[in-house]
Amino acid sequence: MSTPTDQRATGEVSRSANTFAGDVWVNFKRWNLKAVRNPFVLVVSLAQPVIFLVLFTEVFGNVAGGAVSQGLPGVDYTSFLVPAIAIQVALASAVTSGIGLVNDIENGMFEKVLVSPMNRTAVFVGKTAAEVFRIALQITVILGLGVLLGAEIETGIVGAAGIVAVGIVFSLWFIAFSNTLAVLTRDQESTIIGANLLQFPLLFLSSAFLPLEVLPTWIQTFARINPVTYGVDAARAIMLDENVMTVLEVTAFDGALNTIVPAVAVLVGLGLAFGSGAVYLLSRASSSDVR
Amino acid sequence: MSNERAMTESDNPRERARETGADRTPMSERPSIDIDGLELTYGDGTTAVDGVDLTVADGEFFGFLGPNGAGKTTTIKVLATLLSPTAGSVAVNGFDVRTEPRKIRESIGYMAQETSIDPELTAEENIRFACEAYGVPRGDRDERTAELLDLVDLVDVADKRSEEFSGGMKKRLDAATALVHRPALVFLDEPTTGLDPKARNRLWEYFERINDRGTTIFLTTQYLEEADKLCERLAVILDGEIVADGSPADLKRQVGGDVLDIELGGDGEARTRATTIAREFDAFRDATVEETDTGISVTAESARQSGTDLLVALRDAGLTVTGFNVRAPTLDDVFLAITGERVDTNETEESA
Repeated sequence: MSTPTDQRATGEVSRSANTFAGDVWVNFKRWNLKAVRNPFVLVVSLAQPVIFLVLFTEVFGNVAGGAVSQGLPGVDYTSFLVPAIAIQVALASAVTSGIGLVNDIENGMFEKVLVSPMNRTAVFVGKTAAEVFRIALQITVILGLGVLLGAEIETGIVGAAGIVAVGIVFSLWFIAFSNTLAVLTRDQESTIIGANLLQFPLLFLSSAFLPLEVLPTWIQTFARINPVTYGVDAARAIMLDENVMTVLEVTAFDGALNTIVPAVAVLVGLGLAFGSGAVYLLSRASSSDVR
Repeated sequence: MSNERAMTESDNPRERARETGADRTPMSERPSIDIDGLELTYGDGTTAVDGVDLTVADGEFFGFLGPNGAGKTTTIKVLATLLSPTAGSVAVNGFDVRTEPRKIRESIGYMAQETSIDPELTAEENIRFACEAYGVPRGDRDERTAELLDLVDLVDVADKRSEEFSGGMKKRLDAATALVHRPALVFLDEPTTGLDPKARNRLWEYFERINDRGTTIFLTTQYLEEADKLCERLAVILDGEIVADGSPADLKRQVGGDVLDIELGGDGEARTRATTIAREFDAFRDATVEETDTGISVTAESARQSGTDLLVALRDAGLTVTGFNVRAPTLDDVFLAITGERVDTNETEESA
């Protein structure tokens, strides 16, 4: 037992005027610490894409390589696949954002943060920043592994950074989506199931694993409205330094930019749309208004 | 066999101190909590709080009692700025809950009914996060964290993840995180529900300690023994309205007289007959007679003087008295008199 020191609660507020950036940093640190502590979050969201990368290149490499080289002469399947796996990592990792929120609601930390004087926007910005940071690291790991397996990033280190950036922009809409599920269901299992169920249809019904030309028409149609197509095409354009987009014909720019600019624009728009929905739901969930 | 035990004096040392005039002088004139006409109606039309007026003085250990669903937690959530009042004015530490919620958040500690800690972080990291969240100056964080770990006896497990902790340890950690910024006022919403008696006793010691250092405490509890032991003043809320307010001793006096508990042999019929005899017993005017699980319970001014006469009368009626006990009323009796129901704590009593 300790002896009570002669400290007295004064009515004074002894708070050292936390700044917005300070509050962001506090939450950024907490969520990074949690990610390191929880091997599930870090490994599982990376393991599945790694398995895909290795198995797809080994099992389908020869067959799919033929289909790829029809449309993109001189491109091997590994180089074709790596950008898709980068986007898959972003997708798988974004799911954990909503799971983290549900866990916080379930274990009381959400309310605990609400009674603290931290700026509420900063709380969510900090959490999301930690998740985006993790996605960036995971994509970097995938690119490194891809290069080891023989993939070539035509645009070099700058291109690699560009692919990471595309992955981050892509992840925003799905982070927002998984948080929306979290606030609406307030249930961990529903959030995981809801977000995971979507992953595979989104990946396979896109330009991720094979060129769209060799896929059935209905998949080509769905791929047009599938965000994964835009993420993969942008990443792949950087990877191969070519205009690879087939769902939109843009010729206003030069080469790869004809893919990158429109695809990133679509992703930013999606991010804003899903993001504002999530922000609305989150601010309603954290408001003190009686419901 | 029960022993006869006179307990006319309060067994609450704080209250004794207060009654003998050794009360601490209030630290400031401004009340910690000032509620005037608080109403809260949920979106589905349920009125959880219906016209509550309440003032809690600075430095007071205040207890807020009531059956489940009476409006305790709703009131505490309004005070902690988690819910906006439907009507009425509420000031906490001098700040208005509607216009200055952030100032209130900076100046209060809040321990929710459900234990709220991050299970993936260690004890120390949980406290450190709270230090940062409440803007404890960087230079003070190490010292403050160490001091709080010591205060709640978690030094030995400071580096263990809190998911491994027992219920009591988690509660203590939760309490520590509510105190990092040395708030002038702390809300404790049923802090000991679900804890074993040992863990409960340790928390009590801890709450007394922080109150002794000048912190105002607003406690809700289902355990009347807890309120009796800790609180200087109590208010009882029922159906969203405050129905009693005063020190534990004041409230007990309102019950009127002493309580005579009689244990009877035989079945329910014996208890029914005994109840009738006690109700018609001349020596007890205005007595309240209640059937209990093992016999009957009589509350009357003259319970102490005329208790033996009733026992004789019961024996004469052919009933077997297997035990008896005259005692001062407890808060449980107060609660019964006010709300018409005994507090049932058994359903929430789990070992931690």
